[in-house]
Amino acid sequence: MSVPTTNLLQGTLDLLILKALALAGMHGLGISHRIAQMTNGTFQVKPGSLFPALHRMEEAGWLSSTWGESENNRRAKFYRLTVAGRRQLQTETRQWETIALAIASALQAS
Amino acid sequence: MPWLNRLASLHRNILRRPHVERDLDDELRAYLDQLTDEKRAAGMGVAEAQRAARIELGGLEQVKEQVRQVRSGQMLDEFLQDLRYGFRMLRKNPAFTVVALLALALGIGANTAMFSVAYGILLRPLPYAHADRVAVVYMRYFPRDFAFGTMCMRDYLMWKENNRAFEDPSLFTSRSMDIGGKEGVPEQVQGASVTAGFFSTLDVRPLIGRIFAPGEDKPTTASLAVLSESIWRRRFAASSGVLGQTILVNGAPATVIGVMPGVFQFPRRQTEVWTNLLLNPPTRYGPWFYRGVARLKPGVTLQQAQSELNHIGLRMMQQNSFYKRLTLPVLGLRDALMGVTLKPAILVLAGAVGLVLLIAVVNVANLMLARATVREREMALRLSLGASRGRLVRQLLTESVLLAVMGGVVGLVLAWGGIHLVRAWNPGNLPFIDSVRLDLGALSFMLVVSMLTGVVFGLAPAFESARADLNATIQAGGRAGSDSLVRGRTRAALVVCEIAVSLMLLVGAGLLLRSFANLQLVSGGFSTPPRQILTMLISPGNRKYNDARAGLAFYDEVLRHARSVPGVETATLTDSLPPDQQGDADTFGIEGQALAPGELNPIISDITVGPDFFRTLGIPLVKGRYFTDHDGQDSVPVAIVSDGFVRRFLPNQEAVGKRIRQSGPGMGNPWMEIVGVVGNVKYLGLTVDTDPAYYMPFAQAYGPRMFLAVRSSSDATHLAAPLRREIQAIDPGVTLAQIGTLEQARTLSVSQPRFDTILLSLFAAIAMLLAAVGIYGLIGYSVAQRTHEIGVRMALGAAQVDVVRMVVRQGMSLAIIGIMLGLAGAFALTRLLKAMLFGIGVTDALAFAAAVSGMMIVVLLAAFVPALRATRISPVAALRYE
Repeated sequence: MSVPTTNLLQGTLDLLILKALALAGMHGLGISHRIAQMTNGTFQVKPGSLFPALHRMEEAGWLSSTWGESENNRRAKFYRLTVAGRRQLQTETRQWETIALAIASALQAS
Repeated sequence: MPWLNRLASLHRNILRRPHVERDLDDELRAYLDQLTDEKRAAGMGVAEAQRAARIELGGLEQVKEQVRQVRSGQMLDEFLQDLRYGFRMLRKNPAFTVVALLALALGIGANTAMFSVAYGILLRPLPYAHADRVAVVYMRYFPRDFAFGTMCMRDYLMWKENNRAFEDPSLFTSRSMDIGGKEGVPEQVQGASVTAGFFSTLDVRPLIGRIFAPGEDKPTTASLAVLSESIWRRRFAASSGVLGQTILVNGAPATVIGVMPGVFQFPRRQTEVWTNLLLNPPTRYGPWFYRGVARLKPGVTLQQAQSELNHIGLRMMQQNSFYKRLTLPVLGLRDALMGVTLKPAILVLAGAVGLVLLIAVVNVANLMLARATVREREMALRLSLGASRGRLVRQLLTESVLLAVMGGVVGLVLAWGGIHLVRAWNPGNLPFIDSVRLDLGALSFMLVVSMLTGVVFGLAPAFESARADLNATIQAGGRAGSDSLVRGRTRAALVVCEIAVSLMLLVGAGLLLRSFANLQLVSGGFSTPPRQILTMLISPGNRKYNDARAGLAFYDEVLRHARSVPGVETATLTDSLPPDQQGDADTFGIEGQALAPGELNPIISDITVGPDFFRTLGIPLVKGRYFTDHDGQDSVPVAIVSDGFVRRFLPNQEAVGKRIRQSGPGMGNPWMEIVGVVGNVKYLGLTVDTDPAYYMPFAQAYGPRMFLAVRSSSDATHLAAPLRREIQAIDPGVTLAQIGTLEQARTLSVSQPRFDTILLSLFAAIAMLLAAVGIYGLIGYSVAQRTHEIGVRMALGAAQVDVVRMVVRQGMSLAIIGIMLGLAGAFALTRLLKAMLFGIGVTDALAFAAAVSGMMIVVLLAAFVPALRATRISPVAALRYE
């Protein structure tokens, strides 16, 4: 299945980013790899979607960023969840589960 | 706290923009480098890896732009962009900008100024508590017949006795007072004599000291004085030691008991001294010097008070058969202060300036619509390139608001200047002028109106393009969009509107100008050029001059000294001066005249003059002789009557040789033989028809306070200083006041009509200018639109004159509709001017004709210029333009 990244629902992208950062802070490239890995390659987040989302979420107070060293000694910007971000992850997860359940039952209805 | 984060981001995005941008750039480059590293690790070559990474990133600048889109403050950023773009658009179309700004600024400025003045005079609360409950009571009766005239002490006592509507009625009279004392040189000021309850009726507290206590108007009370803040500062250096000090009022001592604050300006704006009026029991009717002021009892309306006063008036007539048709008119305090002529004038001017605003707004609307057509293509292009409609609306809104704000700022400056001009000018002694300030309410209202205009008409292109077929608009190609039929009609209707409204204003201005010209033509009744006559009021402070013999000797000295001043041709004395300085007025008797019991001759001017009076002013002798030096204290009493007197009271009779006397039969005044008849002179103002008068020689009718009048062979202004020196050399205690030429007096007497005329003419001129700009814009625009058509016509052989005729006809047809509508409006509205006109009717043909032809000429010119431009269209260029 291929999902065009431009059509990725904003809420979905936010949820994926929050989830990707749930365990540890990461830089941009790391986040997109992690999302690809988590979704078994279904979602390939392109920089044109990723960076606006990161900046928007940072302004919303869910993420914080710092400059650091990458695994191969390059300077990179690292993002990590804030307390508000963690709360947002829980909220969005619950919402998503509700929606997914509802959609699934709608599709199974005859 | 999410909003705190937002605020921090906003702050960062706006104020540390370069830093934020650099950070973003670093971040994306780092990302690119990482991606390249990965590709190389996967086995690509350097160049290949870089290329692949770039493709995957999808363009550095695009990503940056996408990030910027989500930042806080994006709206603000776009707004600033729109603002910059708006400024560029305004700079690119200087003609549009200047005209729109000028229209807005003139409209906003003139209206804010006028409404500030109107508010200050008509609406701003008076500085007295419960001012709306205070009323002034007048008396009107025949034979005197002044609409808002005065009563005498007996009338007041009768009113007080029968009064139930008011709390404790007070009595007052305004008069000039000579103030002297050890604190400075004597001077004449405006004063008032008032009964004890006067200040408490108006509910004002003194700055220092006290007001009159109840009972301090009893005949036995000592003379007391309350000073104004201004005279207290001027003469007493604002010292509290003034309380208890004795000053001289008209030569008699009075004790100062208090000082009123500067906001207290009643009965006149300039009143500086209030003395206690002593209620001596009157022995007869008269003198009629007084007006009443009183506060309504709770729950009583002005109408109820008026009807009670009507009853009291009836009883006054029953008691005294001298009174005919007596009424006691009552006015609220504000109306009383304003005078009855000012209010309609201010309302007319405010209405006129409102029309100017209407025209200004219509003009701006028209310009906006014209521009909408030109920008249709721009809008279509932007929409097709993906701009959202909201974004376009926001941009157009920004531009409109920008225009309105700029117009508002210039208008504010104009309004501020205008208000200061009116205050400095203070035409006709407007009441409350000190309290006129730039009214922020008026200013904001004007701003909102102009913004709404800009918004409503400025948004037209955005909404039109929503409907329009983008493809067709863009393909319309080289021509800058095409005027839609509806929009063209709207614009034509707006211009017709402008013409109609400005014609109405022009007619109004024409009427006032004609009326003012009539006023200028009115003769005062004397032939010496008024600028050659200098007059001044002399009040000898010393009470010894109340005695006729001492006074006559003093005035002989005054005349002798005055004649010795180089440049003085003749010098004389009088207690009245044209055009509006009536000294005394009284009824009179004619020997042998049969009057019904209780009937009296009307009260007319009785004037005391020195021998040379008629020669000095150049008043023609109709019959008999002038007074001479031989008409002295001990010779036969004589009088001179005016031509109007003879026509009214002695028609078809030989006046010379008849005898008259003052104050009716039975008053014990000596009979005076009429020795001459002179021409009519105006003493009650230029607009009063004929005022019959009789003159008495100074030596036989002495009064201590007289005008000195001197005639010079040229401008008499420079005689003031030497005359003042001469008179003060005779007696330094003398007060000199009201120094000026008769020309100055005449100018002053018409200052209110001049104010009305100048302002209305100014408003009409602005309106006409704006209408001309409107027509010019419309025709010019339509010529530009029809360049192609005109080119074809000329290519097919149309002569230049045909083209001119075609274009001008378009303008004239609009003008004719507008003028028709304007005439109808003018006929309906000029009735409002009736009270302000002198010597012409409200449908004066000349004023109407002048306004119509003026408007026609302006329209012709405004249409002719673009018509000429049309003839210069080269057919070849016009066709190639396609």
